[in-house]
Amino acid sequence: MHLLLLGASHHNAPVDLRERVDFSRRGIPEALRELERIPNIYECVVLSTCNRSEIYTVCAEPDAAQEALAVFMSSFHDVPEPELAPYLYKRTNQDAARHLFRVVSGLDSLVVGEPQIAGQVKEAFQIASEQGFTSSSLNRLFHCSFRVGKRVRTETGLGEGAVSVSYAAISLARKIFGDLSQLKALVLGAGEMAELTTTHLNAQPVGAICLANRTPSRAAALAAKVNGTAVPWETVTEELASTDIVVTATGSSKRLLTHEHVANAMKSRRNRPLFIIDIGVPRDVEPTAGEVEQVFLYNIDDLQTIVRDNLSKRQSQIDRAELLVHEEVDGFMAWLGSRGAIPTVIALRRRFEQTRQSELKRLAPKLVGLSPEAKSRVEEITRLLVEKLLSTPTEQLKSASDEQEIAADTDTLARLFKLTNQTPQEARDKSNQKSSKTTNSTLPSSTVKQR
Amino acid sequence: MNAIPLAVYVVSGAAYAVHFSARKPMSGRIATVSLVFGVLVHTFVIGMQTMQVGHIPLVGTTGAISAFVWLLALAYLYTEMTTDERAMGIFIVPLMVILQLIPAITNEVSARPPVLESRWFELHVSSLLVAYASFALACVISITYVLLFKELKGKHLGVFYARLPSLQVLDVMNSRAVTFGWIFLTVGLGVGAVWLLEVSPTAADPRVQAMSILDPKIFIVVLCWLVYTFSVYARRTTGWSGRQAAWLSAIGFGLLLLNFVPIGYFVTRSHNFY
Repeated sequence: MHLLLLGASHHNAPVDLRERVDFSRRGIPEALRELERIPNIYECVVLSTCNRSEIYTVCAEPDAAQEALAVFMSSFHDVPEPELAPYLYKRTNQDAARHLFRVVSGLDSLVVGEPQIAGQVKEAFQIASEQGFTSSSLNRLFHCSFRVGKRVRTETGLGEGAVSVSYAAISLARKIFGDLSQLKALVLGAGEMAELTTTHLNAQPVGAICLANRTPSRAAALAAKVNGTAVPWETVTEELASTDIVVTATGSSKRLLTHEHVANAMKSRRNRPLFIIDIGVPRDVEPTAGEVEQVFLYNIDDLQTIVRDNLSKRQSQIDRAELLVHEEVDGFMAWLGSRGAIPTVIALRRRFEQTRQSELKRLAPKLVGLSPEAKSRVEEITRLLVEKLLSTPTEQLKSASDEQEIAADTDTLARLFKLTNQTPQEARDKSNQKSSKTTNSTLPSSTVKQR
Repeated sequence: MNAIPLAVYVVSGAAYAVHFSARKPMSGRIATVSLVFGVLVHTFVIGMQTMQVGHIPLVGTTGAISAFVWLLALAYLYTEMTTDERAMGIFIVPLMVILQLIPAITNEVSARPPVLESRWFELHVSSLLVAYASFALACVISITYVLLFKELKGKHLGVFYARLPSLQVLDVMNSRAVTFGWIFLTVGLGVGAVWLLEVSPTAADPRVQAMSILDPKIFIVVLCWLVYTFSVYARRTTGWSGRQAAWLSAIGFGLLLLNFVPIGYFVTRSHNFY
């Protein structure tokens, strides 16, 4: 069994193509149901975000499965194969695990370290696992990836600091006020920048949003859009006294708020902080207004500097994060390798159990005179004996992680105990239900889908 | 015996420093666990000393400092556990280590003069120690407030921006710690005055006779009470909060610290029970 990933992402696929291969358009559950019909694919997870569409699978033949998945993506999204093929990438086994770990950690994101992707991957995995499209291999892979994501977030600074101007402004507001839910925000202007900022503010639990513009109808229109309140332009300076966050984005050539306006407003604020975000160019607020006690004035350049600093800090953390990913990939691959011996273990145990049962059957006439208690004691002793005898070989087989070693052990055991000939179909099915994969060619593994 | 909790506090302080710089959750947990362990050891030491001398070792600056450090550790742990913020440990624990050096080096428990054998005295000292611990915490919170304020105002977001809670949270924490401390300071001073009125007519002890507003220790502590009273009053009436409140809190505790160690040891004529 192999891990196989096929996908397209922002690295190579243009946005119009990414839109066309977005699984959420038709729904991930439907995609999973169609994937189920592809032969030799035992587990699958479909990840679909605005920047990537990826299918993670456990399959028998990666090359054949890759072709089948490419055909599936083309037909499911109705994109001609020749058009799609150049933008698809394939990763197998270790590379697939590494890719997922990097994705969850935010290392593969457009904005390195962005945190949303971890939640999106969790959601994708949840959909697949709830509907029974995953089993031990992908369960383990995805849970490992969540752990890697958590480690990267807590042990490196990769996810720290705002990397967009609007998020930087919100982060600053949180650092000044803590809880935003009781605060009042005032947005001056109704242009594109004002609208964008208001939309971001509206996404936060800000208590109230007021808008003012020289043209009242535009302020009213924007207020209706964001569930805010339009206030008259003439009352802006009075509004300052009861406002906590002011955003100015008017594009006016004159300063709208002077040092005096702000100082006067602060007198009636009883020292409560006032956060002013001036994103207008030219600036709307007199720079000296920032000198007033408890006033925090940030203009667009200040916010962009914060974003640049944070991005460069994140870049410096990439190596540490990659090292963590590397460690975890090794750990996962060791586990995956050890899973290759599972069918052999099952076959071996079954072989011993058959021998025990047949010997008990053969000796049954001699045990006729025994009491039921004594018979059950004999049953228990023989079972424990078999357990004891198999305990060490089972541990040894499970601890092996090298594929060649596992194959050699399997061959030897199969030859010594005639496992190949004697392993029943039932054992194979059982092993496949438990594992869904093996690298062992002597004891073929499951073709059962985990539904 | 006081050297044992000191050693644990040193370990805890080092762990808080590592946690502050590297921000690894494990180092934070080690810091908290070692501080809890330090407090337990310190409790044991104070308990042993109580059994040894037959009363809580609050007499003299040495015993008082040890009890103060213990209370400060408790107050900090309470704050850490209720806010889930470990960033202030790097400021509090080193202060505890420095102060704990004094009882660790002198390592003796002062005998209690007969004049101090009173419930009033125990209430007086313990109230003041609770107040001091609260003011110490408020001072540290204030320092962190000012550091974060400077980063935000100067637009140079650095270590404190990344590690401290919001200005508003720090301001509220400072306000609560100051108010709590002010209540105990007021009670402690009031009880001290009542006790003095009770014993001064009969006590021949020169230290009791020296107790007046002109004694440096009493003068400074009354000055502190005025500073903190102003802080509590100004916050409620004129909205003195934020940076001004933080500076007041730091000045108040600076005075208390001055009173606690140099004045308590070398200058006072009324409170030299060591």
